[in-house]
Amino acid sequence: MTARTDPALAPILLIEDEPSVSAFVRTALERKGYRVVQASTGAEGLHQLATETYGGVISDIRMPGDINGADVHQWIQLNRPELGARIILISGDTANSETQSLLSRGSTPCIEKPFRVQQLISTVEKTFGKP
Amino acid sequence: MRDRKSFPKRLTSPRRTTAISAPSPTDISHEFMDLALEAAHCRELPTFLAGLASRASEILKASWGAVGEIHGHKVELHRRNVQIPENAVDRDWIAANVKLRRTGLEVLPWEGQSSFCVFYPIYASDQELMGTLCLRRSTPSMSAEEERLLAALASYAALVMEKVRRFSQLERSKKQWVEDIDAISDYIVVHDQAWNIVRTNRSLASHLGIPPVALVGEAMRTLRHIAETGSALPCPFCQNTVELREEYIATGEGRTFIVSTSRTRGATEEDGRTIHVLKDISDRREAERRYRELFDNIQEGLFFATPEGQFLDVNDAMVRMLGYESREELLRADVSAHLYPTRAAKERLVQTIAERGALRNYEETLRRKDGSLLHTLQNINAVRDPQGHIVQIRGLMLDVTEQKMFQSQLQRERDFNQKILNTTQSMILVLDTAGLISYANRRCFEAGYRQEELIGHRLGRLVENSHQQDFEGALQTTAHGQQVENLELRVKRSDGSMGYFSVSLSPSRDESNQVNSVVVVMTDITDAVLLQAKLAHTEKMATIGRLVSGVAHEVNNPLAAILGFTDLLLEDPQVPASAREELQIILRETQRTKEIVQGLLSFARQRPAQREPMQINAILRQTIRLRNYDFSSHGVEVTEEFNENLQMAVGDPQQLQQVFLNILNNAYDAIQESGNHGKIRIRTRQTTDFVEVAFIDNGTGVSETERIFDPFFTTKPAGKGTGLGLSICYGIVRAHGGEILCWNNEGESGSTFVVRLPIATETALAASMEAGR
Repeated sequence: MTARTDPALAPILLIEDEPSVSAFVRTALERKGYRVVQASTGAEGLHQLATETYGGVISDIRMPGDINGADVHQWIQLNRPELGARIILISGDTANSETQSLLSRGSTPCIEKPFRVQQLISTVEKTFGKP
Repeated sequence: MRDRKSFPKRLTSPRRTTAISAPSPTDISHEFMDLALEAAHCRELPTFLAGLASRASEILKASWGAVGEIHGHKVELHRRNVQIPENAVDRDWIAANVKLRRTGLEVLPWEGQSSFCVFYPIYASDQELMGTLCLRRSTPSMSAEEERLLAALASYAALVMEKVRRFSQLERSKKQWVEDIDAISDYIVVHDQAWNIVRTNRSLASHLGIPPVALVGEAMRTLRHIAETGSALPCPFCQNTVELREEYIATGEGRTFIVSTSRTRGATEEDGRTIHVLKDISDRREAERRYRELFDNIQEGLFFATPEGQFLDVNDAMVRMLGYESREELLRADVSAHLYPTRAAKERLVQTIAERGALRNYEETLRRKDGSLLHTLQNINAVRDPQGHIVQIRGLMLDVTEQKMFQSQLQRERDFNQKILNTTQSMILVLDTAGLISYANRRCFEAGYRQEELIGHRLGRLVENSHQQDFEGALQTTAHGQQVENLELRVKRSDGSMGYFSVSLSPSRDESNQVNSVVVVMTDITDAVLLQAKLAHTEKMATIGRLVSGVAHEVNNPLAAILGFTDLLLEDPQVPASAREELQIILRETQRTKEIVQGLLSFARQRPAQREPMQINAILRQTIRLRNYDFSSHGVEVTEEFNENLQMAVGDPQQLQQVFLNILNNAYDAIQESGNHGKIRIRTRQTTDFVEVAFIDNGTGVSETERIFDPFFTTKPAGKGTGLGLSICYGIVRAHGGEILCWNNEGESGSTFVVRLPIATETALAASMEAGR
């Protein structure tokens, strides 16, 4: 799936609780010219989504707190349908049954930890388009 | 004795001679008158006869005279003058002649006495020879006058002898009669119409302590103290005055009499006599009373019945036993129809008695009045009449209901115990004090042991060597009276295989509380033990799975950062070449770590990725093809023993191929290590619920079969494997609802891995379709 929008205008929201992973993903994306806004919890991510405009969302599935990746995914489908096809999930465990059911429901791309930079960039370019 | 033949010829007609000095007729008539007087007053026959002989001698001028009287075979001579020769020879001769029957006079010469003896028979009116008149005379001749006189004298003698005989006979019989009456021990009393005693017998008199004559004339009422019938008559023994013959009971002085009364009618009113015979029946009464008491008080039932079984008399115990209110109630109606639960039972009884006459310890179930059953033990005798017909049956009856109930309860308990012994799934054995098996229940034989290999042998023979000590110790403990519970022993089964048995030993004691045997209860718990081990293993693997899954997650985040930043550094053109090489190492090791974590996650995976029907044989062949070249080039022979009619299994073919490959690789490695000429047999089998694949190799075998599926457990040299291969296989097979097992081959080298997968039932397929959507 390819989206042709102007990513320069809208940054990518990265929701990831693990700082080192978040830092690596942000660095990798910024090197390719993407703008990245970070959120460290699901709740913070939803707050950002409600107040700002983003060109796409990358979210970890399993996160501490009340709101996980699946909840974020569902919120977007309901409240930001224009972003419905512009979500990339990051999973630490695809074998997890919860993750499995989430992934089996739609065509949302998922990158499994640990992943290579190349893997990340190609998925982002395919989903959000090049900056 | 003198020979009669030597006697001169008998003179039938003696010569008549004239008497020399014959007595005058007047004298003779005087003599006869005197004789008549004597006869009239005769009290003693011998005296009279001697007198008669003497007169005859005088009248007939005989020097000696006698009357020979015949008493049966004996002869008695009656005479007065005995000075004339009386020697034994003469007496015998005379006596012999006295007994001869003659028609009349006979004169015989008296040898040695130079004289003659005249014999004249004395006949009774009935022509019985009573005796002979004998006279000794000097001449044989006798005048007609003399002969007439002789005949007259003889007839006189006959007259008197007969009279005296009759009289004495009468006297004798009268005396005899009195003696007879007196000999009767019963009291006899005769009284007249005036109520005075006419006669009593001796026993009545001696009871009163006085002679019988003393009572004659006394009033009957003086006998009142002996006994009374209770009537108001002056005689204590009379109940009335008219009955000719009657019998009744009279009592007195603590004794009981049966009074038989007879009345005779005399010529006149006053001549009537009443005869009472009093029979003392006190002893009989007492005996009867005792008998009745025994009959009534005995605890056993007694009965008298007709040959048909109708009761004639029963005792109280019998009435109680049969549950009736009274003897009368029981006797009133024919209860036998109610008494015998079946008609046949009664007929059998009657029949048997008729045939055998008696029944000993005859068991019969009877019905009480209220219908409840009574178990009895009976002894019955038949009483027969002189013709041999049974007239009565008499019996004794014991109530054995309680014993019977106890017996049947005992029997029930025994049956119950027997049933338990026979149906229990445990083997139960009894060992004697020597430790030898003396009993084995049915289960032992159902389990395949033979009688001859158990009975009389030591149970210890069957126990595995390493457990012998435990078993012997338990036996010792039991012999000292203590129980040993749930000892787990490995015991040889009837097919020779070793099984796990739970063994309990209990001491059994005799009356003196000595342990005389040991009861052993053995239960084959092999399945349970194996199941438990399997459960424990599964539990362990699940725990490891959860742990591993958690660790893998936590490791993935830092790993993602390491991998990511390493990539970024390698992309950075400013990084020098020397650092790049080191970054490459970091990259490689990070990727290796990633694989390990992924392996761990596969092991811990909950469900297969795919669920579709699979042909196991096809997957196996595909897998073998992958390694075929490698195997054959290293001399490892793979044989396929496939069941071609195998049902489909459900799962992920990719994952299963991974499992089979892993097992094959392990087998290959084990063979390589052993240096054997490698052989791997792959066998597929169909069971009810599973498709089973067995990989049998002849490699080194597995050192710790129970840990083989644990993550990171490896016997391979360091660096050769991650130690996750079989753990992943385990995870995959479990996720398919199957099981994976491993054991070392018995009796040969190598090991066997078995994978069991559930067959594709319709429900399983439907589930797989659902999951696939």
